[in-house]
Amino acid sequence: MELERFSAFHDAAHREGILFFYSGYFSQNIVAAMADAVRYRLKFQPAQEGTLRKVFSTFVEMSQNIVHYSAEPITDEAADNNELRFGAVSLGQQGGSYFVACGNPVPRDAVPALKEKIDRVRDMSAEDIKKAYREKLRSENDPASKGAGLGFLTLARDATRPINYAFEKLPNDANVFFYLKAVI
Amino acid sequence: MNDFYVPATPTSPEIDFRFSSNTLGIRGESYPENAAAFYSDALRQLRTYLATLDATHVEINVELKYFNSSSTKILYTLFGMLNDCVNKGNDVTLNWFHDEEDETILEFGEELYEDFGQLNFRPTAVSAA
Repeated sequence: MELERFSAFHDAAHREGILFFYSGYFSQNIVAAMADAVRYRLKFQPAQEGTLRKVFSTFVEMSQNIVHYSAEPITDEAADNNELRFGAVSLGQQGGSYFVACGNPVPRDAVPALKEKIDRVRDMSAEDIKKAYREKLRSENDPASKGAGLGFLTLARDATRPINYAFEKLPNDANVFFYLKAVI
Repeated sequence: MNDFYVPATPTSPEIDFRFSSNTLGIRGESYPENAAAFYSDALRQLRTYLATLDATHVEINVELKYFNSSSTKILYTLFGMLNDCVNKGNDVTLNWFHDEEDETILEFGEELYEDFGQLNFRPTAVSAA
């Protein structure tokens, strides 16, 4: 890349309010390093500490989702530790609020269930989200989840409007690219 | 039984279970890659310890800066175990340290208080460092 084009890229990111962007492989170590960078970035943001903590939490939840669920692993598909998977994450500010967006490939056949899961949360009021969160906390673990099944509810709880998602076709027919965005 | 200690890492807390003095501590960050795997030894040790107690006072100090959703679930299980142990004739004080500006951690503490009413729950706000 020519330096001029790099400079244009850098300026464009700045104009878009991007505070952090990463695209590449995700592992727990990389998440830890990014979390460190993001904390410093947020430290100097002119927002309430409570809001910044929700932004941080959303960033970590999304990044760890990529480590656990991206359909492009380098490590063994069945692994549940020391995973390394492909994705992208971005954090920024826009019109007085913050956003965190992420993307990663998912298997095409996982799309309907994923859609249904997010739509259910999207339709909930803040009160419903709290209630569902508490029910999930008290329930037994979902065997299909590597986390606690609390991930989307945690994102929704911290967001100020319904979480947004999109799926985009990939040249590889088995996978589609899954995008998720939360505004805080 | 022997005390149980795990040092903190940037993404996992220090676990300091001093069974010999009935004082338990969890401090730091909690977003390990696999929370269930990270906490499994600690929970196993704790379960064994709690089963030996009789009319004992236990003090647990929890001071977490941030915990992710899967850690939340584990902590909920852990406090449930402590609550059950009170039902067997012991008493447990939970000192819940939270940043004064962190409503999420305070709210979770309050949920614990509602669900596990047997614990002597003491929330303590600390100012951000």
